[in-house]
Amino acid sequence: MKQNKSLLILAILTVALLAVYFLPLVIFAKHILILTLFYAFLGTGWNLMCGYAGRLSLGHAAFAAVGAYTSIFLFKEFNLTPWLGMFVGGGLAVLVMLLIAYPSFRFGLKGPYFTLASIAVAEIVHNLLIYGRDFTGGSLGLSLPYVPTSLAMFQFDGKELYYLVILAFWLLAVFLTIKMERTRYYLEAIREDEDAAAALGISVNKNLIAAACISAFLVAVGGTFYGQYFRYIDPYSIAGFSLSLNMALVVVIGGSGTIFGPTIGAFVLIPLTEILRMSLGSQYPGLHLFLYGILLVVCIIYLPKGIASLPGIIRARNDKKARQLDQGSEGVL
Amino acid sequence: MEMLLQIIASGLLLGGIYALLSVGLNLIFGVIKIVNLAHGDFLMMGMYATFFLFTLKDINPYVSVLIIFPAFVLVGVLIFRFIIKPLLGKAETEVNTIIATAGLGFVLQNLALMLWKSDFRAIETNLTGKSYEFAGIMLSAGRTWAFVICIAIALILYYILMKTKVGTHIRAVSQDTDAATLMGINVNRIYTLTFAAGIALVGAAGAIITPTFYVYPTVGLYFNTMAFIIVVLGGLGSFTGALIGGLLIGLVESFAGVMASSELAQVFSLLIFLFILFVKPEGIMGKGARV
Repeated sequence: MKQNKSLLILAILTVALLAVYFLPLVIFAKHILILTLFYAFLGTGWNLMCGYAGRLSLGHAAFAAVGAYTSIFLFKEFNLTPWLGMFVGGGLAVLVMLLIAYPSFRFGLKGPYFTLASIAVAEIVHNLLIYGRDFTGGSLGLSLPYVPTSLAMFQFDGKELYYLVILAFWLLAVFLTIKMERTRYYLEAIREDEDAAAALGISVNKNLIAAACISAFLVAVGGTFYGQYFRYIDPYSIAGFSLSLNMALVVVIGGSGTIFGPTIGAFVLIPLTEILRMSLGSQYPGLHLFLYGILLVVCIIYLPKGIASLPGIIRARNDKKARQLDQGSEGVL
Repeated sequence: MEMLLQIIASGLLLGGIYALLSVGLNLIFGVIKIVNLAHGDFLMMGMYATFFLFTLKDINPYVSVLIIFPAFVLVGVLIFRFIIKPLLGKAETEVNTIIATAGLGFVLQNLALMLWKSDFRAIETNLTGKSYEFAGIMLSAGRTWAFVICIAIALILYYILMKTKVGTHIRAVSQDTDAATLMGINVNRIYTLTFAAGIALVGAAGAIITPTFYVYPTVGLYFNTMAFIIVVLGGLGSFTGALIGGLLIGLVESFAGVMASSELAQVFSLLIFLFILFVKPEGIMGKGARV
């Protein structure tokens, strides 16, 4: 997609989402919108490394956890505003990522091996969070000390301001993705054929590590947002496998390695799960995730490249039809 | 000294169980080259099946293997035909099979939650609470039997893979699909067979561990990571490797569990796992050629 066209789409989407802010929505709808944008943001961060470079990580919750725990810890102990704590958390997440990314790419970990390593890293973080009871509250987690609405302390009483914050985060992440045009092409080249890319003079490890670090930073920032919005974090919710998996699912279902794929995926999956949970969750526990799982499997089988590939598929089908018609008329003549 | 022997003995028994869990995963991973993230959830299904066969029909868990194995073969064939096969042979196969099996895991976990609630369940057989004493070391009866059965299953499998025609076909497909096809091997049939066998083996493993572990809908998640660690540690598709990997992890957990805490025990196993991934991704026993 051309850069200008992507920027135009982004501008239109942002205006539309801003307009939604002024609609008189019920609280539940606002909550769904915030969650959707939250996952769209995380997915966009995840996509940078995992989508474009084709390294499937199922352990990105580790970075969200590092972000959330750091900012809440700094706020609790030193009264540091989460706006700054967010950057400290992001920096720490980048450090953790470097620790893993460097050896992974150095030793050429690919395919399922990379995925397994990422799961292992998240499990390590998860276990360390439970183990470090004195700092992290162990299995009980940490809750955020309450402060009345304060922009400086990143805490708001209503949902509206959280919506604006996550909208801005999402906008910046997508904008960044669009602007990283050159890196994106490099990563795609690396994904398709690493040796060929290297032969063309693309620095494989440098690009992969850069993408991995930005990806970790964004997801850590998402973690801080999660902590501020829910005001409570524990190892199971923020460092658990399901958060990692959800991040990946949003992207793969939407269209991995595309600019708007993660956003599309989030807007399809998150409202669907939340509404299913609301309507079925209390009567039949498990039914909503059961249906969700079936939907995932069906989606993957019939749309292996995600929803973002639909227009292409339809176009190809129309072209084929047109060509068949052409050939048909030639035959008559 | 006795303490040390005790730790080693319980570590080895635990390792045997871990090895048993990973045999099916190893087979699927090694031959079809796909990651089955729902592996642990099939274990959970096997455990529930055993639980209900025991409580409702009074069938001994070890005997119920004879019912569960064929039933899970059928399940495996169906899942391969309708979920895995459509995904094979494409550019996105690797990612999409992982996501699809994760979705399958969701389905199984929540099916269990819907049908049987999230309660922890356990069965009481004539082995419950019993242990054998051997030279001053106490061995849990349930785990000892699980260990013995695990070794037996590994030997049978080893025999099938190395000495029978089907086994030769499976090894050929695992080494080079194209060459195997050219030699007239029906790759699709071998894939179906391998997948079904992998699922049936983990179902059987579920039956064998039910006397010593609780059953609940997400029990698979715990064992899933463990099984993957062992498979990679020992070497893809290497059975001796899986056995050694299982025993090693069992020992590590047993020692770290006594000296530190259970969380740190897991961290140690995971760090060993990462280390092996980085320096010797083909596994301890891997030597280029596999199986």
